[in-house]
Amino acid sequence: MINQSNHPAVELSDLAYRYAIAGPIAVAVDRLIVESGEQIVITGASGGGKSTLLHLIAGLMEPSQGEIRVAGTSINGLRGSKRDRFRGQHIGMVFQTHQLLLGFSVLENVLAALMFSQIKKSQRKARALALLEELGINAPNARIDELSLGQQQRVAVARAIACSPTIVLADEPTSALDPSIASTAMDLLQNACRSNNAALICVTHDHTLVDRFDQHHRLEDLASDRAKPAGANTCP
Amino acid sequence: MTDWDIVTKSMKSRWFSTMLTVLTVAIAAGLMALLISMRSAGEDAFRRGTGNVQMLISKEPGPLASVLNSMFYAQAPGNPIAYSDYQQLASSYPFAWSVPTQLGDSFQGSPVMSTEVSFFESFEPAMGQRWLLETGRLFDAPFEIVLGADAARTHGLAIDDSIELEHGAPGAQGGHHHSEFAFTVVGILKPTGTAHDRALFTSLDSSWILHAHDRRELVFGHGIRTALDDVDDIDRNITGIYASLGNRQAALMQVLSSLRTDPNWTVANPASTVGGLFTIVSNIDQILLAMAIAVMLSSGISILVALYNSMDQRRRQIAVLRVLGASKLRVFNLVLTESAMIGLLGGFVGIVFALIAGQVVSGVLYARVGLVIEPSLPIDGYLMIVLATIALSCIAGIIPALIAYRTPVVRSLRPIG
Repeated sequence: MINQSNHPAVELSDLAYRYAIAGPIAVAVDRLIVESGEQIVITGASGGGKSTLLHLIAGLMEPSQGEIRVAGTSINGLRGSKRDRFRGQHIGMVFQTHQLLLGFSVLENVLAALMFSQIKKSQRKARALALLEELGINAPNARIDELSLGQQQRVAVARAIACSPTIVLADEPTSALDPSIASTAMDLLQNACRSNNAALICVTHDHTLVDRFDQHHRLEDLASDRAKPAGANTCP
Repeated sequence: MTDWDIVTKSMKSRWFSTMLTVLTVAIAAGLMALLISMRSAGEDAFRRGTGNVQMLISKEPGPLASVLNSMFYAQAPGNPIAYSDYQQLASSYPFAWSVPTQLGDSFQGSPVMSTEVSFFESFEPAMGQRWLLETGRLFDAPFEIVLGADAARTHGLAIDDSIELEHGAPGAQGGHHHSEFAFTVVGILKPTGTAHDRALFTSLDSSWILHAHDRRELVFGHGIRTALDDVDDIDRNITGIYASLGNRQAALMQVLSSLRTDPNWTVANPASTVGGLFTIVSNIDQILLAMAIAVMLSSGISILVALYNSMDQRRRQIAVLRVLGASKLRVFNLVLTESAMIGLLGGFVGIVFALIAGQVVSGVLYARVGLVIEPSLPIDGYLMIVLATIALSCIAGIIPALIAYRTPVVRSLRPIG
């Protein structure tokens, strides 16, 4: 659901995450605001907590402290199915390994995302087909395992933006791709987000992607020294 | 794309495992349906065969043997009754009707019942169902014979065909062929759906002439001719009496108790005797039913195992659905729906199995013992079995559904290796 409110797409305040209750801080963000339609990239070392940060924003993990707001709604204040429904309507995700539903067709993968959206049932198929066409997939009935990695990435992008999300969270979206198609894939993802007015948070360890984004943050710079995750400064 | 599509996709993606599980459930449900339907159909068939006879009077050792032998042609009754005794009995009690029957002869394995024409007039093979001729007429002279519907079909006989009988019931020792007497087929009866369909019917005189002939051969040797005039009282025997008091239920109890005090007679009330038989059989029935329930439970376990094993492969799919917005309860319901679907399919296939197997079993029973059993349950009965199968499947699906419910999303999305 496109963010039509005056709220930022994503707003993180005083966020910290510990794997164990009394353990060291694994992810910390003092404050981060991503405006509607804005595209930012967060870099950091492998294992530095970039994916965890996305999972926190998506409401798949509980922060140890702080607040995460998506389109003005505190996602960590939502419980159970309300949070799941909110995620289905406001957040799209693109994964390093695409995480498409095997055994399902291209079209069904996109329709699966629309099942949980607020888009009317009667409009879902048309929207899915239009998105796939926009992203250059001409075989909507092909099975996922019949597609190349590059084509799978396009389907993953189509699925992420299908519900007209407020924010798309991309976790190392090009790391599984050949460098020759990685750039095209990023173009595709960014353009799709722009044309759907979705904000984009991309986490990657690939510094070559940095110039493409409105803002670049190093994960370790998002927290004050007091709140920095253990060992954050030792990472390259 | 709906939840239903996800369920069917999931089932199709593991079609072999799904098919085997459905088959296991189908066998259990089918066995259950078959046992229940056969039990009620068996009882119905036996009750049907006793028709409107209120009393079966014989000299058999007990009422059950009397009913099985004289009404279901299990064996030839072994203890003859003098016809004069029958006449005395018939005049002593206020029967609405009584018909003497004599069994002991056969034709190529089919029993021959000798009786009077009143057998077709008074006795209804099934309550409220009278005898009807398919073709021809009833016998009215010695050596005329009328065929039950199945006897005619089995032996390929038609009107005016000539046949010779064997003395002795089918399979009995000491039987012999009566080539001296040719019987002419004069009528073929319509099917009644009872054991009587596989019998042949002739007059008592015909049977008595055969017996007189056997007796006279012992005295005069082979090659003699025997006619009705040669029949003595010693030949005039019967083996059973079908009787009824009509609507006089109060009198029935009196007559029954009066006859039962006479040690010369065995009196059976066929309906209660059949009821008693099924009380005995019901013990075995309950064992079979318990076995069917055990098979049903094991099929539930097989659903659990099949779904449980699949959960490892489906962890990632469930996690992806959760990311897309599916709630924990929704994925729980998806797995439970799949389990219920297996139960539903298994239940339906099982009912089809039961109907086919029921036809096979009833065909075999009809061919072997002439008992017409039509295994069927009211639609409610089949529905209950399918519902029970679905309920069991849902119970079996709870553990896999809980695994789906508790799938850790983030951990399940981590790249393998």
